[in-house]
Amino acid sequence: MENREKVLQIKDLYITFNTFSGKVHAVRGVNFDLHKGETLAIVGESGSGKSVTNKTIMGILAKNANIEKGEILYNGKDLTKFNDKEFTKIRGSEISMIFQDPMSSLDPVMKIGKQITEAMLVKGNITKEEAKKKAIKLMGAVGIPHPEKRYEQYPFQFSGGMRQRIVIAIALACDPDILICDEPTTALDVTIQAQILDLIKEIQKERQISVIFITHDLGVVANMADRVAVMYAGKIVETGTVDEIFYDPKHPYTWSLLASMPDLDTDATDELLVIPGTPPNMLYPPKGDAFAPRNRYAMEIDFKEEPPMFRVSDTHYAATWLLHPSAPKIDMPDALKIRIEKQQERQVLQNETN
Amino acid sequence: MDTTKQLKEEIKIKEKDFKFVQLDEKIYDEKFEGEAIGFFKDAMLRFKKNRAAIVSGWIIAFIVFMAIFGPMMNEYTYREQHLEWAFLPPRVPGLEKLGIFDGTKEIRVRKENIEEKYGDALIKVVEEYNVKHQGRDVAMAVIKVDAYKLNEAEDVYFWLGTDSIGRDQWTRLWRGSRVSLFIGVMAVIINMFIGVVYGSVSGYYGGWIDMVLQRITEVLGGIPSLVLIMLFIMYMGAGIIPFILAMVLTGWIGMSRMIRAQFYKYKGQEYVLASRTMGAKDRSLIFRHILPNAIGPIITQATLAVPGFIFTESMLSYLGLGLGAPEPSIGVLLAEGQKVLLNHPHLTLFPAMVISILMLAFNLFGNGLRDAFDPTLRGQE
Amino acid sequence: MLRYIGQRLAAMAITLFLIISISFFVLHAMPGSIVGDDPMIPQEVRKAIEAKYHLDKPLPVQYGYFLKDFLSFEFGTSLKVQPRVPVFNIIAEKLPITLQLNIFSLILTVPLGITFGIIAALKKNTRIDHTISTLTIFFISVPSFVFAAVMQYYMAFKWDLVPILLSTEPTLTWTKFKSMILPILSLSFSGIAGITRYMRAELCDALNSEYMLLAKTKGLSQVQATVKHAIRNSFIPLANIIVPMFLGILGGSMVVENIFSIPGTGSLMVRSINALDHPLSIAVLFFYSLIGLISILLVDLSYGIIDPRIRIGGRK
Repeated sequence: MENREKVLQIKDLYITFNTFSGKVHAVRGVNFDLHKGETLAIVGESGSGKSVTNKTIMGILAKNANIEKGEILYNGKDLTKFNDKEFTKIRGSEISMIFQDPMSSLDPVMKIGKQITEAMLVKGNITKEEAKKKAIKLMGAVGIPHPEKRYEQYPFQFSGGMRQRIVIAIALACDPDILICDEPTTALDVTIQAQILDLIKEIQKERQISVIFITHDLGVVANMADRVAVMYAGKIVETGTVDEIFYDPKHPYTWSLLASMPDLDTDATDELLVIPGTPPNMLYPPKGDAFAPRNRYAMEIDFKEEPPMFRVSDTHYAATWLLHPSAPKIDMPDALKIRIEKQQERQVLQNETN
Repeated sequence: MDTTKQLKEEIKIKEKDFKFVQLDEKIYDEKFEGEAIGFFKDAMLRFKKNRAAIVSGWIIAFIVFMAIFGPMMNEYTYREQHLEWAFLPPRVPGLEKLGIFDGTKEIRVRKENIEEKYGDALIKVVEEYNVKHQGRDVAMAVIKVDAYKLNEAEDVYFWLGTDSIGRDQWTRLWRGSRVSLFIGVMAVIINMFIGVVYGSVSGYYGGWIDMVLQRITEVLGGIPSLVLIMLFIMYMGAGIIPFILAMVLTGWIGMSRMIRAQFYKYKGQEYVLASRTMGAKDRSLIFRHILPNAIGPIITQATLAVPGFIFTESMLSYLGLGLGAPEPSIGVLLAEGQKVLLNHPHLTLFPAMVISILMLAFNLFGNGLRDAFDPTLRGQE
Repeated sequence: MLRYIGQRLAAMAITLFLIISISFFVLHAMPGSIVGDDPMIPQEVRKAIEAKYHLDKPLPVQYGYFLKDFLSFEFGTSLKVQPRVPVFNIIAEKLPITLQLNIFSLILTVPLGITFGIIAALKKNTRIDHTISTLTIFFISVPSFVFAAVMQYYMAFKWDLVPILLSTEPTLTWTKFKSMILPILSLSFSGIAGITRYMRAELCDALNSEYMLLAKTKGLSQVQATVKHAIRNSFIPLANIIVPMFLGILGGSMVVENIFSIPGTGSLMVRSINALDHPLSIAVLFFYSLIGLISILLVDLSYGIIDPRIRIGGRK
């Protein structure tokens, strides 16, 4: 993994928002790398800063946002220093994005075909006919039946799932290297969700693009991602490969997240774990570990000092004082352990039957 | 990661800090700090921040106060005529010494007539000029005269002057405001009532009832409302009650649409379904669970409708469909003033000011209410 | 699309029918509106008139005649304003003047309103936006006839910039146009303000929409995205406000015509009301409704053309 080419490096990104009530510290020093051809999932609850981070990469932050410090390195250039004109050049053709709600992200009064070709034509180097050909091919690739006919239609003539496919086609129109998917399936029916996820996976493999996948749905993560970053209160608290995060989580927040997710063995009598308390108010970011007040395993130091990233393996890091040598040995909660074991058994069984 | 090592050195880590502090405690959701603020209190707080709306509120209160008590403030009545004192300019004791409201006016006269006709009343000659009249040069002058002296009314004060038959404009202005406000507010109240009932029935029951009711409003709404109002007044004859009824004819449609939309928005929500499954009656669902959500928009829409009706009333008066004499309304006053605008602008000025300020105040007040009740719309104005 | 047009036409026919019926009712309820109470009219003449207007027939038959007459623009003759002249001829003479005024006003109103609205939305929450918004609410609030009176007094009478009343020249000359400036302005202010407010709100919505975001992320610049997506979309609901506004201008022009002595249908209306010439008043009102209905129809149809959701989907 390490020897792979890094296409995007985010270094110590810190973003605040000016609001009526004061400065909101939305992202507080985020670091991660995106490798070529991998899928990185960023998981966290609402307001954890995952969307803000990615909007910064796209240069579409709201006007009241400030990038306090940090850099986003892409091809040796720092995107945080880009103005809108420079961003316009890389948007679409280098980095592209898919949004949560396909119902509202298409222009209701413009033909689908035009919406796909629009950006290609703006970027130049292509004739109208070529653009149309490419768009129809792309529509076929994202699974739209009768693309020639559909090319001339308007968004209201498409279903939600079909629209999301169109949005994906639009995002891919200028052959980007990086695709950011911001909860692309949240607004869709469950059956459609799976189809769209498969589509993204397929495209990612075929085109060898790097995908950042933002979600709060751990089920989706397990299915899609190569690596996972867990965000809490504007920070990445744990990062690792999918297996590491799902089978060997180290951060108490990750434990809670996993334990709160229903799986195949969960039945009506089981009580799912609820994470007590609420995320901190980001107007006044807490001292120490932001998760400490909600954490059963919080230690005194958690309220005093912010934990650094402790190394678990070359790919696995977690920001919790529990990994400090002086910390009392503590294992993940038993319930979670049992679940993970069951999960692994099932995995093994599945592999055998295959 | 090498940062780990660095940090280790930087931070002095005390061994005793590494012990659990809340392992066995039950962690509760944090209580919200501070008191919970009710919807109306919250709206009030937001409303109070809107300075324009607050000022407008006071202006409306002032005009309402004057509309009630203004006519009683001097000894004249709205119908008392003083034919010998027609078209007197405004004159207010005290202010007259400052050069305003001093009962003077400028008029154009033949120079030779000045002495004879105006004598004592002449204050000064502003400008002299000649005009050709039937081949002869006639010497003219613009002179400033004390109109009260001229009409032998030195001890009389008409604060806002008098109209063509010497009626006190102050009394008529405030009485007119009273009539206009009354028509506007009554029309709004009735419209609100009809609109809420109609919209609730349409929105709550839905289905074919809604279909039929919607078609009716569609057809009614298709008729230009001004045409309908004018036909109605021509039929009924002018008067305060016919005016109010005329404005009710189609005025309630807007309110009913809004209420219907509110019902469609809320009737499918879980809390309504929940109380329905628990056996709540239609009446309690409508009045306790759905309608209260619409109180903010209802108040806002009602406030914003008042100036519209005042405007329509004065327009009809302008067109000759106004209240019969001697009852004034702002529209009647404006229409009367318009006839003599160039010579006696004060008759137009004051009613024009009152109606403009009143409409402005109602609009700003209504906008303030809307922003207070629905903060998401803020900044759209 | 055809179904949509059909629906619109049917709605219009029902409304028209309703207006005629109400007119019939009002006209009949008005004492002496057609024959007059004048005792000097001899019995035979009265009989003859009654026969001519079918007043001797039962009410439903009368209604039938009335309906037929209205639909063929036979409104009878004026009673008092221009006695014995067919109402239709009077209106036909006055209507162009009113329409001219209103169309000039629309030509001024729509582009200016849209421009100010776009500027305010693009400069949202800046000083320009605040200034435009403040002026907007001012011009919406102050009635057109107040503007008319104030401008007439100051601009025409005191400062002598433009004529006080409309010039009587029959053709559109410079002097005539100059004398039309004040009426057009007083008719236009509230319309401009109304469109500005609406346009601003619509464009602000469109600028914050998801499709704007997508347009930007797919590689369009802010300007391209605004022009091609946001402004295009915010134009569509604008038709909603232009119809009522046009009707408002028509209504306002009744008053404004009177103030500036414009010999259009508005002042005709006032004269006929004051002279109790009911057939004339009602015919004028009928024409107003007709113009209103036609403009609504035009807007509905143009909606059908602009908005693909209606053109193809057949729904609104």
